[in-house]
Order: sequence, then structure tokens, then C-alpha cells
Amino acid sequence: MIDPETLLPLQPATFHILVALADRDRHGYSILQDVAARTAGKIKLSAGTLYSSIRRLLEQGLIEELKESPEPDNTDERRRYYRLTPFGRNVALAEARRLNDLLTQARSTGLIPKEL
Amino acid sequence: MFFRTLLLCYPAAFRHEYAAEMMRTFDQQLREARRSGGWAAVAMIRLRAVADTLETAPGEHLHVLRQDLMQALRSLSGNPGFTAVAILSLALGIGANTAIFSLLNSVLMRTLPVRDAHELVMLTNPASAGVFIGSQNNERSLLSHSEFRQLAETGMFTSLMAAQSNLDRVRARVDGSEEEIGVRMVSGTYFQTLGVPARLGRVFSEAEDVREGAAPYAVISDAYWRRRFGGSAGVLGRRISIRKGVFEVIGVAPPEFFGETVGQRPDVWIPLSMQGAVLPGRDWLHDAPGKSEKVMWLQVFGRLRPPMTLEQAEARANVIFQQGLAAYYGSALKAETRKQFLDQRLKLRPAAYGASQLRGQFAEPLWMLLAAAATVLLIACANLGNLLLTQATARGREIAVRLALGASRGRLIRQLLTESMTLAVFGGLAGLAAAVVMRAGLLRLVSDTIELPVAADARVLGFSFALTLATGLILGLLPALRTTSVEAGAGLKEQGRGVTGSAKWARVGKLVVVGQLALSLPLLVAAGLLVGTLYRLQNVDLGYSKDRLLMVRVDAVTGGYEEQRRLAMFQELYERIRLIPGVRTVAYSENGLFSGPDSADEVDVEGYVKTGKDDFGSRYDHVGPGYFSALGIPILLGREVTEQDQASSNKVCVINESFAARFFAGRNPIGMHVTQVYGDQRNTFEVVGVARDARSNNVRGEVGRRFYVPLTQPVNAPDSIGYAIRTAGDPAGMAETVRRAIREFDPSLPVTGARPVAEYVSDRLNQDRLLARLSAAFGVVALLLTAIGLYGVLSYGVTRRTNEIGLRMALGAGRSAVLRMIARETGWLLLAGAALGTAAAVGGTQWIASRLYGLERGDPLVYGSAVCVLLLAAGLAAAIPALRASRVDPLVALRHE
Repeated sequence: MIDPETLLPLQPATFHILVALADRDRHGYSILQDVAARTAGKIKLSAGTLYSSIRRLLEQGLIEELKESPEPDNTDERRRYYRLTPFGRNVALAEARRLNDLLTQARSTGLIPKEL
Repeated sequence: MFFRTLLLCYPAAFRHEYAAEMMRTFDQQLREARRSGGWAAVAMIRLRAVADTLETAPGEHLHVLRQDLMQALRSLSGNPGFTAVAILSLALGIGANTAIFSLLNSVLMRTLPVRDAHELVMLTNPASAGVFIGSQNNERSLLSHSEFRQLAETGMFTSLMAAQSNLDRVRARVDGSEEEIGVRMVSGTYFQTLGVPARLGRVFSEAEDVREGAAPYAVISDAYWRRRFGGSAGVLGRRISIRKGVFEVIGVAPPEFFGETVGQRPDVWIPLSMQGAVLPGRDWLHDAPGKSEKVMWLQVFGRLRPPMTLEQAEARANVIFQQGLAAYYGSALKAETRKQFLDQRLKLRPAAYGASQLRGQFAEPLWMLLAAAATVLLIACANLGNLLLTQATARGREIAVRLALGASRGRLIRQLLTESMTLAVFGGLAGLAAAVVMRAGLLRLVSDTIELPVAADARVLGFSFALTLATGLILGLLPALRTTSVEAGAGLKEQGRGVTGSAKWARVGKLVVVGQLALSLPLLVAAGLLVGTLYRLQNVDLGYSKDRLLMVRVDAVTGGYEEQRRLAMFQELYERIRLIPGVRTVAYSENGLFSGPDSADEVDVEGYVKTGKDDFGSRYDHVGPGYFSALGIPILLGREVTEQDQASSNKVCVINESFAARFFAGRNPIGMHVTQVYGDQRNTFEVVGVARDARSNNVRGEVGRRFYVPLTQPVNAPDSIGYAIRTAGDPAGMAETVRRAIREFDPSLPVTGARPVAEYVSDRLNQDRLLARLSAAFGVVALLLTAIGLYGVLSYGVTRRTNEIGLRMALGAGRSAVLRMIARETGWLLLAGAALGTAAAVGGTQWIASRLYGLERGDPLVYGSAVCVLLLAAGLAAAIPALRASRVDPLVALRHE
């Protein structure tokens, strides 16, 4: 098993994709929408970035493609759905910790106030 | 549509996987944008899609490339034997090509290591070197010092420099020890014109030109500084004694600077104004008035004063040059003579590449060798390509499966090409290393004295990169074509055991072998012709035996001998040398054999009427008494020059056969008169003998007309003399003894040469030797590669057809019948290869026709031998698989079925 730490730091787009998949399985467009919604439209991924990231995440084993659509009533059943793997979850967690540590350090030096 | 086009930027594999999803995502984004933001939002989405594609597509391509590369490395390392052989043969092929190209680059394409080399122009001929005394018609090759000064004073040039055209090897004393160094005299403006500063101390300035004999300074090369002075800064102020001058070292030139002549590396530069000290007794700085004889010995380079063009400069320089000539030759000459002398002109050329005698000598042979090396590489590529094809055929099943599973054909070809490209790149890298070694070896083959800067510049690297790329493409071509013709699923139907593949591709392998045979034959023929040429040149009839013949020269002028004392000295030294134990005979003459100057003038021959503008010139030499008998040159008619021919007696000469044939066709020359003509100078000699043609300067071509006059009755008193000494034992071993005897006779008399005549002759054959040796080596390698290729294809064919052969044998075919079958099939290949090869050789050898001597380029013996050798090697290569086929056990073969 690869140590999650070796994949850090993640690119922002990669991290957003992992976060989007944290609560449920999604197809590509749904990931885009989720990222846009969570960042209040500040981050709008494009198809190229999204799918080259997906290609990489699949190869690294951070996500996997579902064999069947999780929404059987969906009219477009050809959509491809992706799910976060346990390893992917670990990697995302490690990245979140890394970011949190950074914040803590910045607070401890007084760079940013206790309450933002 | 818009996005579909954008998607084409991604690799096919990526598109195959994600294009549909991406299109859908993009459509949804567009729909969303239309709903919420109108056309501005739509435009924004499109713009972002373009930017996004530009950002991510290259990464995807890199990813595919990395995958292909990993797969290629896996596949190559899984087959280490093949990989090693392939890389080694490519390394040798690419190495040989790169080495030859890098020499061509050094000789032909490198600009001088000076400031703004492209602004330099030269007023002299880059290929000329030496000292010409007299006059020259038409284009002037070198300039005299006075001419250089006249041109320098015109102001046409921002600066103009002159450099001695030949490199003097002289004995010099440094700190009490004597050594031989390369010295070049240059004008004070030399370094400044070239734009080369000193790395230590200072270089010459115009002050060095002001007063003759008043600038005893030397600039030394970086290499000499390191070699002789250990790179110490204390070198400044040290003294180097050269003949009658003592020179103070004032500076060291930069490391990359070798001067203006490619192929030479002087150790020391000294000012032209010190000529009198280095060449005492001679005045080469002034055009001697009233003698009509100029000393032309300088290469002249300059930088034009803007905005003058080369054409304008040439026109103006010629006006000044003509004025100088008119003033020099004066009005005392006859009108006809004067007109002849004034028929001289300057040609200006761009001088970025400097002067070089190498260029004329070696450019052509090197291009020929490059062509041969490229052919060998092509043959090697064909071999490896055939092997890769066999592998691709063996992998036909894998490929068919992958095609059936939806892998794109393009992707598969790309992967096969990556594999061959990887091989080529490894081969190319190893080839670069091999080239360094080969280049050094090549240079040594060419000559010991040529010094070329190591040149691994962008051009050489680019060449070897391009070669590697081409090699990779050629290697991958066959396997890739093979792949494109596989039908998806077709391989699945074939048997899965052993080597499978269609007969069609086995035929392609055979065609490749025919091609190899056809390429090898011209190389073998060329090698045969060039080796034959070298053999004939080495055994050319000089007119006398060159065995055990030592050539020694002494320079009487530098030794301080006045004109009237020289003759007696030559004679006395002759007597001395004759008495040395181990010396059989001694012949002496001004020109000597293959080592001295040459003289030629127009002649008037009694009874011969000149017509038209024919060549009436003849070479001539001044010889001592008994010259012909001592060398062993037969006198065909009359007598030779003897001791009876004195200054006061009747002036006589001996002519050679060529002279007699040209001017006395059908007449008896004895008693007739020959007059040497130069300007208004005339010397008439009575012909007393005809000698057999003998070569004293050239090995190739015609011997040429020559007449010999006694040293006692000279046209011009010789400055130096050459002794041809026939020894009882090894001539090289006698050299030191003779030198010592001359030193004992007069320690101040400079001795040059002291080498066997055979060595001088051998030096003249450098280019021929280079061509003969390398073409023979290339021929042998081509032959081997072709034999291996043939073996491989036949061997593979036998394996492929084991079943068929077994079946035939089971049905009653005997061993000899199987052998006959293979022989018949191979015979056609060989026949086709030999026929195509002969045609290629007939066409190809016209490129080397100019290099041949003593045989025609269609020499039947050479062609016959080349074909025989090729067929023999091919026959041997074919025998092994044929025998193997005849030993196929029908039972074993059929059991496999």
C-alpha cells in the first residue's frame, strides 16, 4: 500500500474532486456542480481538467468507477459514476490535516487572528 | 461541434475513454449558462474550455508517451540478447557516421574562433600555402609583403592582417634546451584584425610593424603555454631563441584560438618584421626592385570598412593592386613581357571559415566515406528492422487480441515506434561516445600532423540526433506496416503455437535481404577499386627505386652562406656524406625528391614552333654531377651531367622523356637548344642527354616535362639543396648519423627532412590510404551484416515451415530434395540482389572515379571478385538453415501438428 503522504500536497482541483465524492457517488457533471456550489461559484472546473484528474485518480486508486448507476431511475443510464476508495479517503484526510496544520501554524504566529 | 474539435487535441486513448462524458458535461454547462447568464456566460464557458484544453492536453500526451516508453523498456529488457546486439550495431553505425560528419564539420563548416568571423574577408586563396617566388598569372593565390602593405594603407579596411601561409617547424631554444616548435610569422595587426585578445599579457599591435627587426616579441598558444611552461604566469618575459632571433614572450593566446588556418596549431606567433632573424639571408619583406621576382608567401585577411560590399572592395583592391604591379615591373621590360606580368588579379572571398589546405584534400574523401557509412547504417537498420518484424509477427496474436479489444491501430503503431525509437536513442547515445573514439582514430589515419579542435558543437549533435530519429523511423517502419495489415481478430484464428505469421510478411523479409545485398555490392566494389588504387599507387614506378633511400636537406642561406660560397659547400658536403660508412651513393639536386621546392618556367625549344595558347612550360631542377647514375635513372640517349660541366664550359642540360616527346617528337634532341624564359631573363642550354621519366614531386598523374641543368650553370643560384642518399641498411636508422656528420661539418647549417623517401611518398597517399582502409572496413561490415540478415530470414523461414518440410519428407522427399528447394529459393534472392547491386555499383562508382588510379571504374576483375565474395558469404550464411531444414525429422515435425 502506498503511503498517502507521498501523494501530498494535492492539486486544489484534485482535492475538490475528492471532497465532492466524500458524501456520495457522483458523475462528472455532478462533481462540477458540487464544487461550484461549495465554493459559491469561485471554482468552476472545466471538462478537461476534470477528466484528466479523474483519469489520474483512477490510476492511482483514489477513486473507482461504478459498474452500475446508483440512481436506477435516472433517464440517462450511460452516465459514469465515481466513488471514493478507502485509500482515496485516507489521502483526502491527510491533505485536510496538512491544510489544517498550516492554518494552525499561521494562527500561532499571529499571522491570522484566532477568529477569521 | 466546437467542443468536438477541441477534443481532437487529446490523445486518442483519452478521447476513447472520456470524450462522450466530456461532451455531455460541456453541453450541460452550456445549457446552464444559457439559462442563467445569456450569451456572455456562454462565451465565457467556451473561452474557459479552450484555455483548459491547452493546459491539460499536453499532459495527457506526455502520459501516453510515458506509458509507451515503460512498455518499450519492459519489452526490450525482456529480450536482452536482441537489445544488446541492436544497440551495439546502432552505436557503431551512428558512431561512424557522426565521427565522419564531425570531421567534415571541423574542416568545412566551423567558423574561425574569432570575433564576428562572418565579417572577415580574405584577399588570398584559402587553399594556398608555401612560398612562391616569381610571378603568377590570373588569380593571385598569395601576396607579397609589399603588396600587403600597399593594400593596408588604402583605408578600405578597418584593419588588415597578413600571416605566413605555411607553418614553419623550427628548432628553438627555450631555457637552454632545444626543441622543435611550430612558428608562424604574422603582421602586428594580426590579433587585432581577428579580434582575439590575450588571455595573459598582451598581443601584438601595429607598433610591431613599424621598424624591421625591432620587435623581438612572441605570443604563444595556450596549449604550448601549458605544455612547456606549466601554465605559469611567470612565462611573460621568458625568452625563446629561434635561429638568429631571441624573442621575449609577451602574451598567451586564448585556449580556443588556433589561428587562421584550419588543421594547424602554431605554438608561437612572431611579428613579420622579424623575418630577417628567423630566415636570415633572405629578404621577404620587400619586392626586390629590378628582379621581376616577388616572394608571395602571405595569407591576407581583413575587415571591410562599412558600407563597402565585397564586390566594391574587390574592384577597388584590384585598382590598387594593378597600380602596384605597374610601378614594380616598371617600363624597362618588353611590352609583351610586361603585359604578361600585369595579368594578375585579386579575388576577395568571405573568410569566416579561414584558410585550409585540408579542405581541398579531405572534403571529397570524407563525403564519400560518409555516404559509405550511411549505407552501412542502412544495412544494419534493415537487419534490425527484419528482426523487429519477426518479433511483430510473433506478437501477431497479441496485437490481434488488442485490436479486437478495441485498441486503436494508431496507438499500437505508436507503441511499436516508441520501441524502435527507444532502441535508436540508446544506440544514438552510445554512438556519440563511440564517435569520440572513432574521430580520434580517423584523424590518426589521416595524418599525424593535422590538429583539429574537438568539435562537439550543435551541428554535430543535431546531425547525430537527426540520424537517430531517422534510424528509429526506419527500424519501426516494417513492424508498424505489419501491424496495420493485421485484421482485428485475424490472429486469433491462427494457431497459437510457435512462430506464426502470414507468408506475405516472410516475403517482405526476403525483399529486405535483396535490398541489403544490393546495397552491399557497391560498397564491396568501391572498396575493391580503392584498395586496388592504393596498391597501384604504392607500387607506382618512380623511375628509380625508393628502397633504402634517405632524403636530407640543408638550407645554405639560413646557414649564412653567400651565393658564391654555396656551390663549393654543396660539393664538399656531398663528399663528406659519401664517406659515411653505410652510404652507398649520393645524388644531390636543388629540388630533391618529394621534399623540396619545385621550379617551372616557360621554355623556347629549338626547332619547335609555338602555336596558339598552348602550355609551353616545363619544370626544371639543378643537379650535381652523376645525379642520374647515383639514383639509378637510366640515360636513354646521350650523356648525363658530369664534373666536366663547369661554370665556364658550354651550358648543357638533360631532358626527360616527356620533355623530348612534347617538344622533339620524331627529332633527335641531342645538340639542340632549350631556352628558359622568365620575363626578360633568358638562359640557353644545349641538350646533351635524355633521361627516363622519374617522379620527384607527384605520385599521381603524368610525370610531366622536366629538364635538368648542372648546379654549376644555374638559372638562379639555389638557396638549399637536397641529398638523396642510398644506404646499405635501413635508411631511417642512418638519419641521425647523417645529421651528425652535417653538424660536424657546420653546426650552423639547418638540416631539414632526414626521412626516407618511401615515407615522403607514403605521406602523399594519405587520402588514398584513408579511403582504401575505411571503404574496405565498411565493405566487410556490410558483408557481415548482409550475411547475418540472410541467415536470419532463411532460418526464420525454415522454422516457420518446419511442418511443411516435415510433411514433404514424410511424403517421400529426400534430404537432397529439401536442400535443392532451399537452394532454389535462396538462389533467386542472391541473383536478384547481385543484379540490383551491380546496377547500383555501376551508378555509385562514378562518385569515386576521380580517386582511382591505374584501373577503370568498371574494372571487371574488381566487379567479379566483389560478386564472388558476396555470393560466397551469402552461400555460407544460407548453408546453415538449409542443412537444418534437411535434418528435419518428419515424425517430430508432424507430431507438433
